[in-house]
Amino acid sequence: MRYQGDDDKLMVQYLLGNLSEEEQVRIEDRAFSDSEYMDALEAAEADLIDAYVRDELSQSERRGFERRFLTSPQRRSKVEFARDLARVPGLKASEAAASERPSGWLSLVSLIRAWNPALQFAAVLVILISVAGAFWLTAQNRAMRSRMAAFETDRRDLEARQEGLRQQLSAEQERANSLAAELEKRPSVSVPAVASLILLPGLSRSETGRTQLALNSSAQLAHIEIVLEARDDYPRYSAELRTRSGEDVLIRGNLLRRQTAAGYVVSFDVPTSAFGLADYELALKGVAGDGRVQDLGYYYFSVQRR
Amino acid sequence: MGCAVLLGIVHSAGRMVVDPAGETRRQKWSLTQQAFDGLLATLGPDRGTAADRYLAIRRNLVRLFEWRGCPTPDEYADEAINRCARKIGEGEEIRDVATYCIGIARMLVLEMSRERAKEASLDKAPEPQAHQPDDDQEFRMECLRRCLEQLPPENRKLILHYYQGEKDEKIKNRKGLMEVFGVPASTLRMRALRLREGLHLCSENCVQRQEGTSL
Repeated sequence: MRYQGDDDKLMVQYLLGNLSEEEQVRIEDRAFSDSEYMDALEAAEADLIDAYVRDELSQSERRGFERRFLTSPQRRSKVEFARDLARVPGLKASEAAASERPSGWLSLVSLIRAWNPALQFAAVLVILISVAGAFWLTAQNRAMRSRMAAFETDRRDLEARQEGLRQQLSAEQERANSLAAELEKRPSVSVPAVASLILLPGLSRSETGRTQLALNSSAQLAHIEIVLEARDDYPRYSAELRTRSGEDVLIRGNLLRRQTAAGYVVSFDVPTSAFGLADYELALKGVAGDGRVQDLGYYYFSVQRR
Repeated sequence: MGCAVLLGIVHSAGRMVVDPAGETRRQKWSLTQQAFDGLLATLGPDRGTAADRYLAIRRNLVRLFEWRGCPTPDEYADEAINRCARKIGEGEEIRDVATYCIGIARMLVLEMSRERAKEASLDKAPEPQAHQPDDDQEFRMECLRRCLEQLPPENRKLILHYYQGEKDEKIKNRKGLMEVFGVPASTLRMRALRLREGLHLCSENCVQRQEGTSL
């Protein structure tokens, strides 16, 4: 602020024509030899014109102003322009407030400007790294959320499917039991009694499954049905039944899958005489077209005789 | 920049001359091409340099006459230059044309003051033209709005805030701008002044274009 305060007051007095000829000459000569002083004089003139159009001058200042400023077309044009500028509607309150109170970002920029170049460089580097890190974290977070949402959907589908299968198993078991009970009531029927066992993927494949094959005294055959998963698509299947201690009971090969309401199943019958009171393991294998054999799953169940 | 002006074009004829008794009287005197060429030769070794110097001198003369409250600063500036050229044409050796012209200008100001005083005593002094509502106001405002819209947002905010408000509010606005733009008061003042000058010019050009279209 080179030309402010007293200089400004003197300039205003000059512009209003209130100085002696000697003082006027001094100001003019200084303005013509010093461009900064000239700029300051022009700025003082602009401020004075503004003060006039805003009615901020005293009576005598106003008279002096009109005597000096309203005489030439150039200056009248400046006064008209100042009047027009004062008429421009103010900025919106929010915009004005924003400019009065510098934003956090602008304050930070001002603070950084005051630092030395090395610190400025370091600060800019830190800001760039932080921004890049924030972008990366946001992207990672978004990808993780997306993956988690997919897992959650899969989990819900699986639960729903398991629940459906559970209900189906329970209904089938009930039906088998009722059939067995009915057969028990009608011993004269010559049709051999059949016990039924349905093994479902995801339930009997683990040892935690407590699947039971209930054989009543009249049952001569046990019908075992294994529900396949969609991925278990082979032209042929084989089933190996053994006790949990590893003794082979039965091997059935060349089995074909067939479609039922529950999906694709592989089924076969086992004479009940083959079963003792033990825990059994049934291994299901898929036989590919080229003869390769693939383990599809192991099912565990126990046999109960009534 | 001023070459076009100076390529053989002699500016307006002189109008005012002071007689030895100090009386102002109107006299028709024309600046000759020879005198003008002599002035240019004194101002610089080539016509381009001379043109630049000529324009700078004339600009300062116009400013001086404006500051002194002259009703026709351009005409007075030309008169000062004419007198200087005439002196050179008469063979007077002038070392610093700019200072010489300023001296003539001050003499003209004195003449003007005397004439005004005389007119005032005879009650003939023209009254300063106070502001009157004009029909062109809306026209000018529209032009000003357009020119403001052409400014980058940062500059628009600066010019509107810098000249906004009264007294304390204005000071507060300007302090706020100093903080926002991170510049001292003097820099802010100059930036606002240059923007204001540019805006004024833009607005005047717009009005002239509009008037040209409507004619």
